[in-house]
Amino acid sequence: MTISGNYFAGVDVGSLAAKSVILKDGEIFATGLVQSGVNSVESGLNALNLALETAGLKKEDLTYIVGTGYGRVSAPYANKAVTEITCHAKGTNYLHPTVRTIIDMGGQDCKAIRIDPDGAVVDFAMNDKCAAGTGRFLEVMAGVFKVKLEDLGSIALSATDTVPMSSTCTVFAESETISLVARGEKPENILNGIHHSIANRIAGLFSRVGIESDVFFSGGVAKNSGMKTAIEQALKVSIVKPEIDPQLIGALGAAVIARNFAKKEGLWV
Amino acid sequence: MGKQLFRYSEDNKAKFLESDNITFNDGSVVTPEEIWDYLTVEGPVKYPGTYEINLSQGNRDSRDETLPTSLKTHYLSLTFSARMEKAKKNGKTIAFIQGGQAVDPYTAADTIALRPFLVGQWYHGREHGNDIYKSVLRRKQSKETAFHDMSFEACQTGGYEHVQVGDLPIDVVAPYTVLRCSDVSYGVEAHRHGPNKDVKLINVDFPMRHQADKPWAIEYFARNLKKLVKTLDEARGKKTTEDDLWRAIRLHNEGRRLGTELADLWWSTDIPPTNSDDRNSLVALANLDMHGDVQASLSVLKEAKKIIAERVKNGVKGHAVTDNPKRLFILGSCVGINESRSEDAGAIVVGKDDQWSHCTSLVEEEGDPYYNLAKATLEYPYEQSIEKRAQWTIEQIRKSRADGVIFIHNWGCNTQAAVSRPIVDFIKRETGIPTYIHERDLHGLRDEQEQNRVNAFIEML
Repeated sequence: MTISGNYFAGVDVGSLAAKSVILKDGEIFATGLVQSGVNSVESGLNALNLALETAGLKKEDLTYIVGTGYGRVSAPYANKAVTEITCHAKGTNYLHPTVRTIIDMGGQDCKAIRIDPDGAVVDFAMNDKCAAGTGRFLEVMAGVFKVKLEDLGSIALSATDTVPMSSTCTVFAESETISLVARGEKPENILNGIHHSIANRIAGLFSRVGIESDVFFSGGVAKNSGMKTAIEQALKVSIVKPEIDPQLIGALGAAVIARNFAKKEGLWV
Repeated sequence: MGKQLFRYSEDNKAKFLESDNITFNDGSVVTPEEIWDYLTVEGPVKYPGTYEINLSQGNRDSRDETLPTSLKTHYLSLTFSARMEKAKKNGKTIAFIQGGQAVDPYTAADTIALRPFLVGQWYHGREHGNDIYKSVLRRKQSKETAFHDMSFEACQTGGYEHVQVGDLPIDVVAPYTVLRCSDVSYGVEAHRHGPNKDVKLINVDFPMRHQADKPWAIEYFARNLKKLVKTLDEARGKKTTEDDLWRAIRLHNEGRRLGTELADLWWSTDIPPTNSDDRNSLVALANLDMHGDVQASLSVLKEAKKIIAERVKNGVKGHAVTDNPKRLFILGSCVGINESRSEDAGAIVVGKDDQWSHCTSLVEEEGDPYYNLAKATLEYPYEQSIEKRAQWTIEQIRKSRADGVIFIHNWGCNTQAAVSRPIVDFIKRETGIPTYIHERDLHGLRDEQEQNRVNAFIEML
C-alpha cells in the first residue's frame, strides 16, 4: 500500500483509557482506544500503534503528533503537549461547530467548558479534589452493585423512582448506597439517584461558567445513557448526539491542533 | 542514578563579586565572595534539593545568574536554618506569628518573628543532604503529625506542631489572631491545651471586621500591641521604648516603600525585567521578615531596586521569560503556582496579593506609634470585607496589567475557601478578566493535576 498525504495524530492518555485519532486530509482516518496501564508512555504508544495499525501507517508517516490528557507530560513520541481542556474544545468544534458548551467526564475529573465559534476556550471549571462526579465514582458504584460499568446507565433508566443521594463524596455515597440497599431500596432507583447526584454536581460547575446552546457531552462517561439523561434534566438542555465515540473527542482535538501546529511551523501547507 | 544538579557558572562570578555586601541585624557583613563560595561549595552539599533540576518542583536547568540579588535571596534562604540556630545561641528572642501580618513591634522588641512557613524552613533546614523528594516527604510528615495532634481541618499547622513537641526553641507564640488564617485558631487552641507550657502564648486580639474607622477599635488593638511588646520584653528581659518602636516603624516603612517602588518599576514596562520567581522573591522582601533578619532583607531590597531600575531603563528581559507572556495575578494565602513550568507554557506571574496588602499600608510616623500601627493593621486591604478587598485587588491587577487571575486556596484554609468565589466573581464582573479558582493540598504531591489546570487557563488566555 502506498502512503500519501499528510497525517496528524492526537494521543489522549487519561487515567482509565488511552485514545488516539489520526487525521488525513481533514477526515478521521483511524482511531485507537486501549485501557491505560501504570506506564503512561506505554499506554499512549499502545493507543497510537493501534490507530497506526488500523490505518496501515508507520509512526514516521505522521507529520505531527500532539499529546494530551494526564499522560501528556510523559509522551516522548509527541511533538507538543496541550491540555485536554483545549483539546476537547477543538475536537468538539471540529465535529459540531454550533456547540458552545461542553461537559467532559473522564476517569478522574469532570469539566464544564465554554467555547467560542472557533473552538477556543472562553471559560472552564473543574472538580477539585474529590472523585465524586467522575468515572471512578461510577466504577465504585458498579462494584457495589456487582454490575458491569457499561450497564449502569441502562439500569438507571429503568428506574421507577429517584432516591436522593449525596454528591459530596464517593466514600459517603458508597456508604449511603449500602445503607439504602440494606433498607430494601430497588437497585435501579438507587442507581438513578446516583446518576442524578452526579448531574447535580456538574450543574454546580456550570453555575460558575454558564450554559449556552448547543451542549455536548464528551469523555468516557458520555457513553452512559443514564448519565446523559440525568444531565439533560439537571441542566434543562438537550445534548447534541455525538458523531463519533465521545471518548475520542480529546484525541481528535489533539489531532486537529497537531494539524494547526504543523501548518504554523511550515510542515504542512 | 544521581540527581542532576544546577551549578552557578564561573562566567558570572567576576560580575557578581562587584555587587553589594549583605549587612545583618547584628552588624555582621557577608561579602559577595563569601556568598559565591557558599552557593557553589557548601550549599550544593547541604541542600542538594534546591539545586536539583526537577521540573515538577519548579527548578530550571538555568537561573538568572546575572541578577545578583537572585543569588543573594537564594543564599539567605539556604542559610536561614543555621542563622536561626546562631541567633538563638546568642540569646535572641524568637516569636511564632502568623502570615499576613507586619512585624514592626517584634522588630522594636529585638525579636525575630517567624511565620509558619519560616518555622518549617528552620526545622527542615536542620537536616542536610536531602533531594527534593525527601524534602517534600519530610514536610508532608510534619503536616500529617499536625493533623494527628491538632486537626485535619486546618492547613498550615506544622509550625505549631514543631513548637508543641519542642523541636525548635521558640520563646513565645504571639500571632495577631483575627487575620485571614483559620488555622491559626487551631494552632493557638492546640498550644493552649498542649503539653509545651514553657512557650508563652499571647493572642494579639483585635475587633472583628477590623473597623479601622472606629477609634475605639484602633485603641483596643493598640492596647493589645502594648501587651504584645510587654510579653516580648518579659521573654528577653529588656524594656522596649517608644523610640525603639518608632525606629522599627521607620525601618519597616522603608522596606514597604522600597517594595512598592520595586513593584511599580517592574510593572512600568511591557518587558518583564525578571522572571516570576525572581520578581516574587524580591517583592516579598518588602515586609523584611522573609529571611529572619530585617537588615539583611533591607540591604538586598535596596540593591534589587537599583538593578531593576537599570534593567527597566535598558529594556532587559528577565531570564527564561517568553515573548509577550500571558500575565497572571495570583490570589490567596500561602499559595503560588509552579512558576517555571507556567513560564514554559507561555505565562508570567506579575503579582500576588498574599503578603502584599500590608506592604502597601504605610504606618504614620507622627503621633502615638501604637495607635498608628494598630490603625495601619486594621486597614490592611486583604483583611477587609469581600467587596473592599476585591476593589483593592482590582487596583493591583490593573497596575500589573494582568491578563488572568487565579485564586488558589489550600485544603483547610477555610477563610480563603469561603471568600474565593465572591472575590473572583467581583473581579470578573468589574474587569472582564478571566479568572480561575483552584483548591489544593498543602505539601501534597499534586503537581500534575494543578499544572494541568493552570496550563489550560494559560492556553485559554
